[in-house]
Amino acid sequence: MTTINIICVDDQREVLSAVVRDLAPLASYFNIEECESAGECEELLDELDANGERVALIISDHVMPVKTGVQLLTDLANEPRFRSIRKILLTGLATHADTIKAVNQAHIDHYLEKAWDGAELLQISKQLLTEFVVEQGLDYQDYLSVLDAPTLYKLIQ
Amino acid sequence: MKTYSKYLLPILAPLIILLMPLSWFPIDQLTIAEQRIIALFVLAALCWVLEPIPIYATSVLIIVLELLLVSDKGLWFTKIPSPDLGTLLSYKDIMATFSSPIIMLFLGGFFLAMAATKYRLDVNLARVLLKPFGQQPKFVMLGLMVITATFSMFMSNTATTAMMLAILTPVLAVFAKDDLGKVGFALAIPVAANVGGIGTPIGTPPNAIALKYLVGDNLITFGEWMAFGVPFVIILLFISWLLLSYLFPAETDKINLEIKGRFLKTPQAIIVYVTFTLTILLWLMGGIHGMNAYVVALIPVAIFSVTKIITKEDLKKISWDVLWLVSGGIALGLGLEKTGLAANAVAAIPFGEFSPLVIIAGASLLCLLMANFMSHTATANLLMPIVAALGMSMHSLLPYGGQVALILCVTFAASLGMSLPISTPPNALAHASGHINTQQMAKVGVSIGIIGLLMTFAMVYVLQLIGFI
Repeated sequence: MTTINIICVDDQREVLSAVVRDLAPLASYFNIEECESAGECEELLDELDANGERVALIISDHVMPVKTGVQLLTDLANEPRFRSIRKILLTGLATHADTIKAVNQAHIDHYLEKAWDGAELLQISKQLLTEFVVEQGLDYQDYLSVLDAPTLYKLIQ
Repeated sequence: MKTYSKYLLPILAPLIILLMPLSWFPIDQLTIAEQRIIALFVLAALCWVLEPIPIYATSVLIIVLELLLVSDKGLWFTKIPSPDLGTLLSYKDIMATFSSPIIMLFLGGFFLAMAATKYRLDVNLARVLLKPFGQQPKFVMLGLMVITATFSMFMSNTATTAMMLAILTPVLAVFAKDDLGKVGFALAIPVAANVGGIGTPIGTPPNAIALKYLVGDNLITFGEWMAFGVPFVIILLFISWLLLSYLFPAETDKINLEIKGRFLKTPQAIIVYVTFTLTILLWLMGGIHGMNAYVVALIPVAIFSVTKIITKEDLKKISWDVLWLVSGGIALGLGLEKTGLAANAVAAIPFGEFSPLVIIAGASLLCLLMANFMSHTATANLLMPIVAALGMSMHSLLPYGGQVALILCVTFAASLGMSLPISTPPNALAHASGHINTQQMAKVGVSIGIIGLLMTFAMVYVLQLIGFI
């Protein structure tokens, strides 16, 4: 079974921990990584890519020093190596313009507002991971217990 | 240690067999070629049971190892003349297993199913067929089962299950939390898909593997198979429905299944409808038109390619893994048969002393047991060549229908293994819905497995009474 990573990006440690806690049910099948800045995330992506590991999902905050979340996700959308990664923007402070950019240029898959509902974040993550597994031609049977069944039914008929 | 043994056993056991002196085997005049086939068979069995590698990869491995070790164009040291060498296989025959008529039959089936899905014939048919069953939960369940079974006769059981579960999901969501009916509905789909596969030669790969051994006097045509397969499916489906609605009665009094969409009326969609109907009719007509089922299967392949209904991109989505899995089984059977091993091994074991009924019941039960824990196709791949050789050599079987009776019992048993989430992909998908627990699935699966097996024996008995086999 290939290692599949989920990366959470937020400059606030406590937010990161909360996100990781919400995603805990996925931890036995996916490797969950934490990054405190966009730069750290990009470095990690490069490293994982060089090791032949897959990244299925990035959950990113928007307002961060140096580089914003929307800018990070836009760059990833334009990078062929990382185009298949699913993207969730998790923010409370994005302006209208940021949000438009996130949809049109970063092609985010989901927008979640802070404070978020843990169960909802987990459910959306499961759906996006299911899409990733099927789209990448991985054997869905290996991950069956953490995938979203209704999404799977639609994708494999 | 346990994780390592999964990889070590399939490597070590065949190696030990290869290195053993011929005289250690309890088979008289065993040849080196036969010894190599035994090693390959053990390798295949261990790989299919333990699954250290994907099951189709095992098939490919068998074919390549046969080419290297027991073919007339294999590695130089495997062909050194010796009185014990035995018969080597023609490399062309081994390679031809990739395009055996059985594979072509399945390819035709895949094209039909793909075109039907692409032009939404399946979903639209489901909508129309479901209407007469009304809104009472019990009858909606029957409707869903009938449709699932019918589709799985021509489409893959897995694809049918996914489609029907997708239709069912919004309905399951409105059930009360502790309504047992949810369990019944979620189980009805995989059960119907597994049972439905029995109905036609292309319904599920084990059927096609059986056809490979039903040749000459024992030939069973597509139409003949359906003539006993479909009634069998109808009865078993009805029993399963009674069982499910008794065990898991729904508290809701009304169910509204909504399937959106309309029949496509584009010229291409009409070509799909016509070709689908035509192919099935030609299959059912048997030999009247001079074509056998394998030749007929290639007609939709040509039509859909020419009309671009199946495009270059669609071609890539064909389940080559299923085709290769079956090819490996055919290659294994070829090796067992052509080296003479199958006949020799069967002669070495005093099966003649057993009652033929014990053989039929024993082989079917073994198959049913294996099919519950591993892939149905892999089970059939392993058992069918042995069962066919056994059936051929055991003359005491003749009053009970001979080789055909034995092969049919084992084939049907392979499809009846459905008591665990790991038994079949449809079971795994339904289990993933979160509405069923393993115990409930086991209760239903074991009951249907045993009832189905008893029905199979009864069916074979009837077929023998009317002189069909």
